[in-house]
Amino acid sequence: MDNWLFYTSIAIACWGAVGLLQKLGTNRISSQSLLCWVSIGFLILVPFLLQGTTILNISVQGLLIGLTGGLANGLGSWFLFRSLESGAKASVAIPMTALYPLLTVLLALIFLGERLTPLEWVGVLAALISGVLLSYEKEDQLNAAEVARSAKTHATK
Amino acid sequence: MTNSKSGLAPRWVLYALLCIFWWGVWGFLAKLGSDLMAPLQLQVLFTMGMIPVALIVLVRAGMKIQTDKLGAIYGILNGVLTGLGLLAYYSAMGRQKAAIVGPVTSLFPLITIALAFLFLRERVNRVQAAGIVLALIAAVIFSK
Repeated sequence: MDNWLFYTSIAIACWGAVGLLQKLGTNRISSQSLLCWVSIGFLILVPFLLQGTTILNISVQGLLIGLTGGLANGLGSWFLFRSLESGAKASVAIPMTALYPLLTVLLALIFLGERLTPLEWVGVLAALISGVLLSYEKEDQLNAAEVARSAKTHATK
Repeated sequence: MTNSKSGLAPRWVLYALLCIFWWGVWGFLAKLGSDLMAPLQLQVLFTMGMIPVALIVLVRAGMKIQTDKLGAIYGILNGVLTGLGLLAYYSAMGRQKAAIVGPVTSLFPLITIALAFLFLRERVNRVQAAGIVLALIAAVIFSK
């Protein structure tokens, strides 16, 4: 197994578990509150990260890329949140936003001159479509979670 | 359910497209950053970069966070695991094309589906089952 695939698998495992925590979390608190606690989780990691590194020697270009990356990710989550708030069906909006790597692919092809072999193209397209299909949850599945949540909220009142 | 229209498309479509835009840009910036610096450094900057958005959310929530203990624990664990996942993502980006790492890491709902099946007894629907087949195809192609 190539090194990159090893790291990719770790990312998939971590984020997959995050998906479950998100379900469990939003069953108990609002997604706004959850997002605040998630940010606290991010901040908790920082002192540990800084034990192994320093950010003092990073170029201005690097600083801008890193900070903008964080901002871009946060804004993405924010707009998904706003979309759901504005009446989007989760069963439509969430699979739709799972298309985001398509833009990353386009940007990498255009600005970084990345090229894919035909077989890699097949893999990339399969992964892109799969990402959309995997994030599809039926409306009644989502509603069941909603009902369970409100039942719990009432029970604790 | 509100269906306020803003010009051509419902507002939620516009927001969903903005989400795709920013997440897509994030993947691209992750690649640029991973080629320039270590994953640990990138994650520190990344965290600082997302603080403004977290603050906006906090203000919109009226500076009040719900403090259900288990909810908070799930949230914090969510943040820590997302961060660890990001470190691995940056490590992968530094070693492989963004056009490959981006789509392949987006297969993570596969694990969520498996965990939700095991722990929450959630059923796998047909659309997801088709997604699992495609994910396996991608996995076979890239593990060669």
